Amino acid sequence: MNNTKIITKHWGRINPLKIEDYVAIGGYKALKKYIRDMDAERAIGEIKKSGLCGRGGAGFPTGNKLEIVAEKNGTKYFICNLDESEPGTYKDRAIVDNNPHSLIEGIIISALIIGAKRAIIYINGRYIKQKEILEIAVEQAGKYNFLGKGIIGSCYDLGIEIFSGAGAYICGEETALINSIEGNRGEPKSRPPYPTDAGLFGKPTVINNAETIVNIPWIITNGGEKYADSGGEKLYILGGSVKKPGVYEGSVGITIRQAIEKMGGGLKKGKEFWFAQIGGASGRLILGNELDCVLDYDRVSAETPRRGVSIMPIGSGSILVIDKTVDIKDLLLSWTTFFRYESCGKCVPCREGTFRLWEIAKRMQDGEITERDQKAIPEIIWTLQNTTFCPLGKFAATAFSDVMEKKLI
Amino acid sequence: MMTVEKILLEFDPEIKNLLPALKKISAGFGYISQNDAQKLAEYFSVPLSRVFETASFYDEIKTKKQPDLVIQVCSSVNCAVSKSFEIVSKIEDYFKIKAGDEFDQKVRLEVMSCLGQCGEGPVVVVNDKVYTNVTKSSVAGVLEEWA
Ligand SMILES: Cc1cc2nc3c(=O)[nH]c(=O)nc-3n(C[C@H](O)[C@H](O)[C@H](O)COP(=O)(O)O)c2cc1C
Ligand code: SF4
Ligand code: FES
Repeated sequence: MNNTKIITKHWGRINPLKIEDYVAIGGYKALKKYIRDMDAERAIGEIKKSGLCGRGGAGFPTGNKLEIVAEKNGTKYFICNLDESEPGTYKDRAIVDNNPHSLIEGIIISALIIGAKRAIIYINGRYIKQKEILEIAVEQAGKYNFLGKGIIGSCYDLGIEIFSGAGAYICGEETALINSIEGNRGEPKSRPPYPTDAGLFGKPTVINNAETIVNIPWIITNGGEKYADSGGEKLYILGGSVKKPGVYEGSVGITIRQAIEKMGGGLKKGKEFWFAQIGGASGRLILGNELDCVLDYDRVSAETPRRGVSIMPIGSGSILVIDKTVDIKDLLLSWTTFFRYESCGKCVPCREGTFRLWEIAKRMQDGEITERDQKAIPEIIWTLQNTTFCPLGKFAATAFSDVMEKKLI
Repeated sequence: MMTVEKILLEFDPEIKNLLPALKKISAGFGYISQNDAQKLAEYFSVPLSRVFETASFYDEIKTKKQPDLVIQVCSSVNCAVSKSFEIVSKIEDYFKIKAGDEFDQKVRLEVMSCLGQCGEGPVVVVNDKVYTNVTKSSVAGVLEEWA
């Protein structure tokens, strides 16, 4: 693990409600640099060089996404995805709690790069305190003229609005999120068109996860190459049976074992490792003999194959450690309850499949599982994995499928 | 006095304000009544069915009158690992109700999805007040606060 902290460096040392604190540690210098010495093309070049890719789960290269929209004319929007509702994941909340201005600065730079005059932060409706923190931060940034008309003497204008969600996991999916702002049910839309072509109100839109965005000021200040050298930074959320649950920053590409031991402090006293779930309720299950897998994005396997190392998709960065005292039936019920509840109902395989898996999990808990259920499980899992409209359907099958395959029940 | 009309005046009649307005009215009055929905439809110039379609999709917006006491227990993975299902059973016994049932006019128990307080689970929410690190033995104390 390297020691250059990018995201968490000032956490706990600055007052999140005071812009002066952030400015005193060099905050908003990247914005000044962008406005005075750079243009969109150069900034995009640096971001591409950095290798930064989306922290919202899918890992799409951030520089490319910004470039697609920067090259378009007319009205455009930039959206910060802060809907964060993957179980076990609270890294974006931690960013706001600890250093909200680093996020605001990243949003401003990103929006200016693509030529948007309006940026929207879509925040999880449950994050009431965090919404207040962001409202204060936006107001303060306006007073310093980092926002508003003619930002620090330039010809750039930008306003940031905060839009609060209303309790629906699917609204973190970018097209559902757009539907939600447009006053519709938060159901995913079919793609293409992609949001970069026709997003919010039909205009080209970049949607980036909050954690992706906080890396931008650092890359602008220090250059893309330096970021790439560090391997990229990621927030990990350790939970379950570890000694020190919480949010930690580490490099992309560490092993699961390193994350559990170095960040989480290892297992709680007297607890024995059973398996870990990577990336929240929609993530894979990892047994003891797989702990040396490297946490990374799929792009790595394509670009720089590393011999003898297997890669586990890093997802949201959450690592939940399950010890041998945990009842697997509780977990099955938890996963299936979540997806049954959060399925948006738009397509039949997901609506029905999540419901049936939940029924089976309930019967398992009551000890009433039948042979018919046993036979149905692989069929339902197959249907969810192969026939649903959006990735939520696949997510709903992941853990259940691993429980069966890895014989955890 | 707070009225739906007054709340609506806080919002420009643009469609992007439909969801925020629904949220605010639902929070203020407990739910969106047929009457309120009609007013929203007129204000935003959309069909009444669109208002209900949108409203019914979101957890935080209620389209029916809610019981006096609504207890929610997070059942997502991190809380489940710290035994939130035991807390669900405790509350079921306490009130002699079943999670998810909607028969009781006074009290309802629901399981809810992760609310991002996973480090401090199990999490229980009573009428929007959040309790963290709840245990099988401390839950009775929480309920007594509301009895
Ligand atoms: C079911 C589902 C839920 C999602 N939830 C979130 C979320 O809460 N936050 C987020 O940033 N991305 C979420 N995403 C990913 C977004 O669709 C999108 O890829 C992401 O916001 C893009 O930003 P990034 O490139 O910075 O990762 C979700 C995707 C799916 C399919
Ligand atoms: S897969 Fe599930 S969440 Fe996605 S569109 Fe279909 S019903 Fe909705
Ligand atoms: S799992 Fe319960 S708050 Fe996140």
